[in-house]
Amino acid sequence: MANEIFLIRLLSLRFWPHFVPLIISQAMLGFGASGVVLHLLRTRIAEKPGVVFAWVVLLAASSFEFAFRASQHVPFDPFLLLWNPSSWPAFTLFFFLLAVPFFLAGAAIGLPLSFGLGKVGIVYAASFAGSAAGAVIALLAFLLVPTESLLRVLLGLGIFASAFVLAYPERRVSAGRVVCVILSSLLLLTRPVPISLSPYKDLAIARNLPEARTLSVRSGLTGDYRALYSPGIHSAPGLSYRFEGEIPPQAVIYADGGLRGIVPRGGGKALPAYLDFLPAALPYRMTNRPEVAQFSLRGTEGILMAARNGASSVTVVDQAAEVVRMIEQDLAAFSGGMPSSVRVEIRKEGGRNFLARGVRKYDIVELADVSSLTFSSLGIHATGETYLLTRQGIRDALFRLKDRGMIAVSGWLKSPPRESLKILNTIRAELDRGEGEVAHFVVVRGWGSFVAVARNVPFTGDELSAADRFCRETGFTMVWPEGRARKGDEGLEEAAFREGVKSALAGPSTGMQEEGLFDLRPVSDDSPYFHRFLRFGSIPEFRRLLGEQWVPFMEWGVVFLALSLAVSVVLSAVLLLLPLPFLPQGGSTGGGAVAIYFSALGLAYMLVELTFLKIGILLLGDPIRAATAAIGGFALLSGIGSAVSGRWEFPNARRWIFPGIAVLASGGFLTLSHGVHVLLAEDHWVRASAYLAALAPAAFLMGIPFPAGLSRMARAGSTAIPYAWGVNGFFSVAGASIASVGALWIGFHGTVAAGAALYLLAGAVFPRLGSGTPSVP
Amino acid sequence: MRSRRTVIVLVATLLCTAASPSARQADPTLETRLAMVRDQIEREGISDSRVLEAMREVPRHLLVPSQYRQMAYEPRPLPIGEGQTISQPYIVAFMTEILRLKPGDRVLEVGTGSGYQAAVAAKIVGEVYTVEIFPSLAGRARRNLESLGFRNIFVREGDGYYGWEEKAPFDAIIVTCAGGHIPPPLLRQLRNGGRMIMPVGGPFMTQNLVFVEKSADGALSQRNVLPVIFVRLLGH
Repeated sequence: MANEIFLIRLLSLRFWPHFVPLIISQAMLGFGASGVVLHLLRTRIAEKPGVVFAWVVLLAASSFEFAFRASQHVPFDPFLLLWNPSSWPAFTLFFFLLAVPFFLAGAAIGLPLSFGLGKVGIVYAASFAGSAAGAVIALLAFLLVPTESLLRVLLGLGIFASAFVLAYPERRVSAGRVVCVILSSLLLLTRPVPISLSPYKDLAIARNLPEARTLSVRSGLTGDYRALYSPGIHSAPGLSYRFEGEIPPQAVIYADGGLRGIVPRGGGKALPAYLDFLPAALPYRMTNRPEVAQFSLRGTEGILMAARNGASSVTVVDQAAEVVRMIEQDLAAFSGGMPSSVRVEIRKEGGRNFLARGVRKYDIVELADVSSLTFSSLGIHATGETYLLTRQGIRDALFRLKDRGMIAVSGWLKSPPRESLKILNTIRAELDRGEGEVAHFVVVRGWGSFVAVARNVPFTGDELSAADRFCRETGFTMVWPEGRARKGDEGLEEAAFREGVKSALAGPSTGMQEEGLFDLRPVSDDSPYFHRFLRFGSIPEFRRLLGEQWVPFMEWGVVFLALSLAVSVVLSAVLLLLPLPFLPQGGSTGGGAVAIYFSALGLAYMLVELTFLKIGILLLGDPIRAATAAIGGFALLSGIGSAVSGRWEFPNARRWIFPGIAVLASGGFLTLSHGVHVLLAEDHWVRASAYLAALAPAAFLMGIPFPAGLSRMARAGSTAIPYAWGVNGFFSVAGASIASVGALWIGFHGTVAAGAALYLLAGAVFPRLGSGTPSVP
Repeated sequence: MRSRRTVIVLVATLLCTAASPSARQADPTLETRLAMVRDQIEREGISDSRVLEAMREVPRHLLVPSQYRQMAYEPRPLPIGEGQTISQPYIVAFMTEILRLKPGDRVLEVGTGSGYQAAVAAKIVGEVYTVEIFPSLAGRARRNLESLGFRNIFVREGDGYYGWEEKAPFDAIIVTCAGGHIPPPLLRQLRNGGRMIMPVGGPFMTQNLVFVEKSADGALSQRNVLPVIFVRLLGH
């Protein structure tokens, strides 16, 4: 479990978050493959299962470190995968390397389960307990260990585990095992391997700039953060061409290797003039001495802009405590500190938590993460949750506005326009009270970016005049309200954006357009994927363009997710079919019932667990806390369920365990999803407790069916137990991808319902496990 | 003097004509390149004969890393190292055409990269000054362009954000590395009546192009221009 969580961090840093599901899926295939291999080699293993087990544990100890080190030497270019077949061998090698530790770990669990090295329930419970401990250890490691050294934690744990099998089972220590442990220990003494970044990562490019130097490195729960300075860095996205001055030297903060924010040198002492010429300055020109709330600490630029425009206070909400410390401490000398002219408060919490908890009202609420210039434009965040940009998030933000306060969003424009129109659709949907909300918006565009402000009451003539002045000074164009100054030589792209805005704000269907190349409808907390624009109906057109012309409109997050699913399903099918000729034939112990039962369990468990995890991101404020609570909580409680599973073998138990899981999983999720808006305002411990309470009953029961099925098979003398272990592993892998696909297109409720239905299916198949006459192949 | 130059041009033309069949035989990629120009450039609406001819002449495959040579004439960007890419052929043609380059122009390119855009422009104009911030790319482009016989391309290693002040003003400026804003120093180095083009987006993802013109009296105007392939997506 810790390896899986660490890999998410390490591969997010090396590549991008969208790449992670693919890699993790393939790596997790190792678990399933272990079951197949154990099954195929069961006769030989059965001669000395204890010895094989000991060696598997010994080899697993250093495999995490070795596999990752080796994978760093495999060259492949993620962007060539789709059209250059020669990239695939390297890529295949890459993910098979990462599968090796999972294979060994899977075998280390599967061996005791399959060869009677311990009681099934206890072994499975120990496995769950290990998963829970892994989640907690990962959490602690993020707090205490630098990113480059994370795998050292696993190496240490592996060496610790090795000590228990040095003399197992013969009670004597062989020289080979000692050498193996010594070699692993020596590895611990070597320097951690530097993480090799994709050359397209913002950080990798900046590192190669002349005179680049790192100013600060911090890592923690929310990510890996690095601040870097080079005279070659000049960042002012969307800056007006009317600005004729100099941009001061800048440092850039990178989060997991991607651009996070800008810190102008000495900006705290001398507020940089270029900030007046960015589109985001618009709301400040329309109000006086505003009290401002900003989401996400994007370096110091946001604060400096507010200060330069006379804000009386700025409250910045950011859950990344590491970034806050980096700016307040490490970069204080570079930045010149916080400007003295404005009162700055930084709140370390999730955006939705902040909106729900407070009562203070603001003149300007600046939302973040709408769109950006670099790789996020490629749709890599399509599968990332954006709870601040859902209808409920916008509703909460509107609630925190003063009477004449305004929401402000700014971002990068695309052709055809996407994020810009989707956020307008979302805000309009929340403002839509049939009172002519067209006067509640002002939209301004620069040459490549836009800014929109919106509020509960119409903008006044004075405010619109101020916006006009801003446009005249900067050369930006007022797109909305209609009929104000329009450029004479408006190009096609500009006209398309103007028409899109008009359709979004004054169209007949309140931002619910079904047509068009992209899905621009508002999203809800049930499927909070603001950056998913892909419409199934557009796929043929994208596919055609990909063959004829390179047009960067594919959503890479979705592409890689689909790819991950396809590869998982294909590999799972191949590896599952492989041992079928060797499975017992005839009788009800045949492969069919085993395959259906254990695949349903693997799939259903992941659908339920991951959907709880996704809603946990909203409730608990950030993905890592949610992952730890969900994965740890499920593993711990399912482990307890598994440990006591032996007591539930009385005849009628199975009749209510499976329906019980279906009811408790659905009920727990429904309770959580409906109560989340009340809980968001509560203290962290209350939220965490409520979260665990909601998942606990289902998680406890979900630990029972797997060992119950294995025990039933064991009692019947079935030899297909390793195969069952493999089936379960494979479908757990596929379940991870399917859960994400489900969340994107059918929402959380639909995904949990699908999981519940699969448990009912497993319950229906359960009586057929081991009830026939076993036959040995 | 004039008649002597005419003779030289005539002789050169004859030599080129005579050499043409053997050149075609010597360059196995020529047919691919001509097909690229026909299918990806002309068919997509590029009509400037000078641009088309330049695209036919410049051996793009010799300017991309050797492992990608077989993909050099495909309609997509390719990696060139340092996290940078060579733009797809159509975008290069589009950016060159919209600048309305003519013989005798002095052009500044910011972001030499592979040197391909500079090579295409150099086939049309008098001088191309190109600046590359990554030393490895600058060195490779310089070597490649020299080996291809370009004598009117001047490669400098440095921060292109500040342009090339000693050689300013420029009739046209091509910014091939999207930077999120139009560098003010470049606007100052643009000659009155000059044109400038800059893509918007990151590597592999030209989304848009911003076109800046400086009028005869020095006033700046800007508009976004959209390549034809994007226009289709807008439903036009």
